[in-house]
Amino acid sequence: MFPLLTVITFLPLAGAVAVALLPRSREGAARWVAAAVTAADLALAVRLLAGFRTGAEGMQFVERLPWVPQVGIQYFMGVDGISVTMVFLSALLTLLSVLASWKVAERPKAYFAMMLLLQVGMTGVFCALDFVLFYVFWELVLVPMYFLIAWWGGPRREYAAIKFFLYTLAGSVFMLVGILALYLHPAGGTFDMVMLAASNLPAGFQWWVFAAFFLGFAVKVPIWPLHTWLPDAHVEAPTAASVLLAGVLLKMGTYGFLRVSLPILPQASASWAWFIALLATISIVYGAAVAFAQTDLKKLVAYSSVSHMGFVMLGIASMTAEGINGAIAVMFSHGLVTGLLFLLVGMVYERAHTRKIADLSGLSGQMPVYAGILAFASFASLGLPGLSGFVGEFLSLLGAWKSDMHRGFVILSALGVLLAAAYMLWMLQRVVFGKPSPAVSGISDIGRLELVTVLPLILLTVVVGVWWDVLLRFCDPAVQALVSALGAS
Amino acid sequence: MTGWAALIPEGLLLAAALAALFGGQLPFGDRGTALRAALFAGAAGVFAAFTRTGELFGGALVFDATSTFVRAAVALMTAAWCLWLAGRDIGDERRAELVSLALFSSVGGMLLASAGDLVTLFLTVELSTMPAYVMMGYRRRDARSLEGALKYFFLSLLTSLVTLYGLSFLYGLTGVTAYAGLSAAGTNTLGLLGAVLAFVGMFAKMSAAPFHFWAPDAYAGAPAASVAFVSTVPKVAAMAAIVRLAAALLPGTPALIPMFAGAAALSMLWGNLAALPQTDLRRLMAYSGIAHSGYLLLGLVAHTETGYLASVVYAVAYGVPSMAIMFVAAEEGSSLADLGGLAERRPWAAWSALVLLLSLVGVPPLLGFFGKLYLFGAALDTGAVWIVVLALGLSAVSAGYYFRVVYVMFMAKAPEGREPLAASVPATAGWALCVAVTALLGVFASPLLQAIGGKLP
Repeated sequence: MFPLLTVITFLPLAGAVAVALLPRSREGAARWVAAAVTAADLALAVRLLAGFRTGAEGMQFVERLPWVPQVGIQYFMGVDGISVTMVFLSALLTLLSVLASWKVAERPKAYFAMMLLLQVGMTGVFCALDFVLFYVFWELVLVPMYFLIAWWGGPRREYAAIKFFLYTLAGSVFMLVGILALYLHPAGGTFDMVMLAASNLPAGFQWWVFAAFFLGFAVKVPIWPLHTWLPDAHVEAPTAASVLLAGVLLKMGTYGFLRVSLPILPQASASWAWFIALLATISIVYGAAVAFAQTDLKKLVAYSSVSHMGFVMLGIASMTAEGINGAIAVMFSHGLVTGLLFLLVGMVYERAHTRKIADLSGLSGQMPVYAGILAFASFASLGLPGLSGFVGEFLSLLGAWKSDMHRGFVILSALGVLLAAAYMLWMLQRVVFGKPSPAVSGISDIGRLELVTVLPLILLTVVVGVWWDVLLRFCDPAVQALVSALGAS
Repeated sequence: MTGWAALIPEGLLLAAALAALFGGQLPFGDRGTALRAALFAGAAGVFAAFTRTGELFGGALVFDATSTFVRAAVALMTAAWCLWLAGRDIGDERRAELVSLALFSSVGGMLLASAGDLVTLFLTVELSTMPAYVMMGYRRRDARSLEGALKYFFLSLLTSLVTLYGLSFLYGLTGVTAYAGLSAAGTNTLGLLGAVLAFVGMFAKMSAAPFHFWAPDAYAGAPAASVAFVSTVPKVAAMAAIVRLAAALLPGTPALIPMFAGAAALSMLWGNLAALPQTDLRRLMAYSGIAHSGYLLLGLVAHTETGYLASVVYAVAYGVPSMAIMFVAAEEGSSLADLGGLAERRPWAAWSALVLLLSLVGVPPLLGFFGKLYLFGAALDTGAVWIVVLALGLSAVSAGYYFRVVYVMFMAKAPEGREPLAASVPATAGWALCVAVTALLGVFASPLLQAIGGKLP
């Protein structure tokens, strides 16, 4: 059988090596190599979606080889309905990020090599079904992202980069404790994630292991109060890194909950659910409230991410089929919409050299097409029905209401939707309308390449928003299986 | 039955050492001496890897998985060091004597790794550290180098004597010097005291807290080329000796285990926290060495066969990248600022140094990660949860100071008026060997150890 997942995962590695080996005199070719490789990877990801049997249960496209047989570490790859959507999202956003970075002139070889290396890690996390392999990919993401922020970022880039690195590393070492604990426990005894999901671990043990994994995943999501690295990283990161950070890296955290915490530690998940729901609610309201106060457009989008990721966690904490489907839909939609928003912020920053909301007023006169797209993205972000943002937030609130969590969490979270509408519309009012400020006078509208970059995101936002099934048909069978396993334990 | 053939590697190293010392009239000159030594050490490593298991001299030398792994590692690390030295000079001094000293030390190290008797243990400890005293003071006109050497000499001598004092108790109580009969000594207080003294001396050589104070000063003063060797190769060998001694003594003296845990925790805390504010690469690596000694002791805390082997593997996971980082300090200067702009000047060196530092942090899939995986797994397996959590937390802290090095290499500006370093094939080869081992050995460590008869968790 054709090892599709391996090729999707490691094709960018080959690309990164190819880019690194380009002679310095032809370093401009790096972007072409990167574009070709990521485009091929996206084509393969589409092939993966097409070949995926949506009704079937269990893992598909499984590849399994012994790696370190003495310890039972395997090279074990496979996707189910939850991860296959994330693999597609990673491939799409990486290609668009490469296109959005077309003008990077400083050290292009290193830049695109890092971008491709990042893709290896991102894709690998969603495909790996062996814990050691999972951890390898998980950590692999850190280094390229560190360099993307630290080399091509804004004025406080070094601080932001190391903060990102240390926060995530500190979280993930606790994850390693969890992995080792599962391996060493007599009822576990393996690194195989699928086998562990079928094991029956004692509840007291689960509680501690859950705590260890929680630290690793929660930093990545990020859940309040572990979110403070995120605004720094986003503000300093170059546009493309922001897109991937928000679009894919944050999803690694919530994916961890779906792939590890819920299936392997079901009883602990149930006893931790109220705590996660509490933190999710705080993230939603706090993120939205802080977004309100931002004067920097990029920081506003960053804090809106904290709020949106709260909805993912709320859906997961509900432990109902609706809620988890909703969580996945928010993950997917947030990848599209926040990716789009960061691209748009990058475009206006490139032209006006400022991200201050006050300095950007009156954009609609100068950049009518851009202003239209920004309005679209804002509506999608605030959860307008008919666009993708609505699907997930609706489902996760529905799931949370149906679950036995305290209704207060759900009501407060629903308030977060209202807040999102308020800060987004207020931002639109200040940026799009009003008197043109000097910073935006004489700047040009969105270019052709830029339009190509944002168009796929716009289309998918509409398609998923109108035709929910296009997404849910993939994840729903996996989610149903997960929920019935949760109910059984 | 293991015959004299088991000693071929030591013989090769000894021949090369004597040739370096007395072969001034041999062709190829000073640089050729280092290259020839590298060749011999490489051959010794290959022979050592294929040594059959068994004993020599009635158990005075033991050849098993641990000694096979460590002897090969010591010889190959020496080969990498000699290769690198062949391409780089150390001030005005000749290389030949330095090479011969290093080779003598590694003969001692290889024998130390298979020592199965108290007398062999002490003799080989001395054989592996004596040449190191001279290496640390190799720049005889440099006062700082001599200061570092003197500190190292006094402390090392003192700790040797402490070890010897402890060994004498053990011998007095049991009447034997072979490890096999030693566990009987642990049953009374005097035996415990003897064991404590023996380990204290060995820990001090490993620069484990609280006996670590000599390391930063000694490493910062001595020539970086010597530090690259002295701070790594003898440590790997000493770790093998410690686990062998622990395996012999611990069954009789379980009271030692809390002491090991305390020393491990203290070393990890002290090393990692004290490394954070350092601005000198060598001092930083000295503190990182103290921290890694703490990790190494986790295998003793586990006191299982897998734990011992994991410690030895981790000693290599610490030693190889640390040695290569000291090469950079020798080439570029040891203040962190000297590394500024390395990524611009020598991109390959900077990127591969990143790999080495990430391995020291424990990022997968590098050697350091697998080393920690086996080591922490072995410790967790025996229920030492708190110390593993501490070790993991401090691993994250260690990223803080290793990344200061990364930051300088990749973000900072180059210091003014820096001459570009001449390219050198042997130096690059020695460097590349270290990087390749760091990048690839982790993935293959387990099958490799199984092939030589060892078992990891």
